[in-house]
Amino acid sequence: MTRYAVIGGVLVVLAWGWLSAFSWFDALALCRVHLDVDLLEGDRASIKQAIALVRREDPPAYRDLCNWVDRIQEERECRAGDPQANPRFRGAVVPIEWLEPAQRRAREAAACYVRGSRIVVMRRAREGENPATLLRERAEAVKRTAGYSRMFWTDAPR
Amino acid sequence: MTRGRWWALAALVVILVLAGRYLVWIDLANRCVIRIRPSLVGYDNTMVKRALDTLRHGSPADYRNVCIHVATINPNPACGGFGGGCFWHHEGQKGRATIDISTEHGLIWTVAIIVHETCHAIQYHEGRPPRFDLEHECYNEDDRIMRALVQFE
Repeated sequence: MTRYAVIGGVLVVLAWGWLSAFSWFDALALCRVHLDVDLLEGDRASIKQAIALVRREDPPAYRDLCNWVDRIQEERECRAGDPQANPRFRGAVVPIEWLEPAQRRAREAAACYVRGSRIVVMRRAREGENPATLLRERAEAVKRTAGYSRMFWTDAPR
Repeated sequence: MTRGRWWALAALVVILVLAGRYLVWIDLANRCVIRIRPSLVGYDNTMVKRALDTLRHGSPADYRNVCIHVATINPNPACGGFGGGCFWHHEGQKGRATIDISTEHGLIWTVAIIVHETCHAIQYHEGRPPRFDLEHECYNEDDRIMRALVQFE
């Protein structure tokens, strides 16, 4: 009996460690959001800080996150259009200043929601970015995008 | 059953589970099956599946086009000017085609590449000639899908 209890305990600890290492895992709220970051440049810890802030500040938004988002994916930026649709830009590196305002705002956004998924894409931190500002921007973006996901799947504004 | 057969059965189950997870997209409700080739350079086949799932819910019309015109997705390195995909014109592309895509730029771009290359498959199936400048139409398609699906404010 004792042996089985020990094996069970070890398995629980391993599962807990696994879940906590690669995702936001809140057992009490039955909440798990996978965090997908770049192997070299990614930063899971700061995404977790942003989610912790949302949990503290805005419980309804946190519930939205837990219910309607199953993955936060860190990418270089959000892209809300392809500049190459304009033949002038095809095959060239397009400076952000040349983009139309909506595309520029998307690239500057801390995060975006991809309609049809339960995935939030979060912009990777840029060099020299102020960590406190980034944390605040990410927390606000998590609140907003979790709401977008809920609205997509339920068709209901809060 | 002997121990050897148990091991063989277990190995078969593992192979089937891994193949189901990484090498094929099966959507019975929409009668859509797409083969996903193994990636030789570590690209993520699950990203292709996430992109297909996003299209299925986010833009059913585009998803239908993918199911009708594409049989195989080859997630290997970028080969085209678009920055992530190609469609090769040859006899083998009659019927449902094969498209090459990369997943290295993330989910949004992967969705866009699938739509872009599917647009080329449609052009091919409509009998449009190769070397004719058909890119413009497909760039507009990937631009459209990104604008439709990405919500940031």
